[in-house]
Amino acid sequence: MKLVALASALLCGTILLFGTAEFPDFGDPDSPAASHVSPRYIEEAMAETSAPNIVTAVLADYRGFDTLFETAVVFSAAMACFFLLRIFGEDERRPSEKLYRHLPTGITLRIDPGGKVPDSPEFERIDGIWIPHDVIVKTTTRLIIPFIQLFGLYVIAHGHHSPGGGFQGGVILGASVILYAISQNLRQALGRMGEAVSAVFCAAGVFIYAGAGALCLLMGANFLDYSGLAPLFGVDAIQARSLGILVVEIGVGLAVMSAMVWIYYNLASMGRHQEGL
Amino acid sequence: MINLIAAMFILLGLVFFTGGAVGIIRMPDFYSRLHPAGKLDTMGLLMSMIGIALYSVQGFSLGEVLTGLKIILIVVFVFITSPTATHAIVDAGVRAGLEPWTQQRRGEES
Repeated sequence: MKLVALASALLCGTILLFGTAEFPDFGDPDSPAASHVSPRYIEEAMAETSAPNIVTAVLADYRGFDTLFETAVVFSAAMACFFLLRIFGEDERRPSEKLYRHLPTGITLRIDPGGKVPDSPEFERIDGIWIPHDVIVKTTTRLIIPFIQLFGLYVIAHGHHSPGGGFQGGVILGASVILYAISQNLRQALGRMGEAVSAVFCAAGVFIYAGAGALCLLMGANFLDYSGLAPLFGVDAIQARSLGILVVEIGVGLAVMSAMVWIYYNLASMGRHQEGL
Repeated sequence: MINLIAAMFILLGLVFFTGGAVGIIRMPDFYSRLHPAGKLDTMGLLMSMIGIALYSVQGFSLGEVLTGLKIILIVVFVFITSPTATHAIVDAGVRAGLEPWTQQRRGEES
């Protein structure tokens, strides 16, 4: 069986290597892409999509299928991390002892499995790797996270005019949540943005993208041809393409943000979501 | 004239950056290396960003002043985050039990 797998892998690799010989040279000005496709994008992108940033126009409009499946790849990466790493229930080999810190005195109690958990606001549950003097880090992240998220939203919304877009803005938004999880602890971050929320948002991002394409079909245009959305938005076809790019970027941003957070939760806590970094 | 002042500021910033880079190599241990890495980079960034902000407000139109303010905003955020990052790294080093380097007397083995 291994031999068959090796043979098929080698065959496939050889065919691929053989195929690369047929490619035009890197940067060849006479290649089909450089002689027909690129000039068309450079000359017509602004007039056709009303997006001054050609990269965004190509990414989200002309090559919308490519980006749709890129988003699906991000989604499936998050799903793969979930299926590989996530463990539900208690760890039998290492029963989780719970640590509670009494805030007024600073005494830490260790509650063995099955023990009675103190139910009082004076007790705070802490991690095994608790950091005593993290007031500075906590305060700074508290100060900085809103600005990070604002910048992430700006990068998503301003992708038409400046470098940016859904992927970059989504990563910035996800980084802000991960920063929160690192600076506070994993349980608080899970309380703010739980696993179910990130899973649903991740799927919703892909759904918004694919749904925008399907809506174009319903309106009588091709899949992901946003000019068909013009009657819905109440604008002309070119403006509709610009707005369609924005809708798609929001979907991408949502999917990427929650995929980052979801992957982080699973990796940082080794799939148990109890104690993390 | 304003170009000249901007160039002076950027050069001054580069001096600080160079000092920081040399300090990271020359300093003897983890904690003292963080000193140039944290302080001189922040200072170099302040100087070079002031230079770039001055360069971008050539005509004192609204857009240019806004660009300059945005560049100064970078400095504000780095001034908040860079010391925090240095603090967090030093804290991690102390809690991991790394001993600070001390001057050893001549002929004395560690």
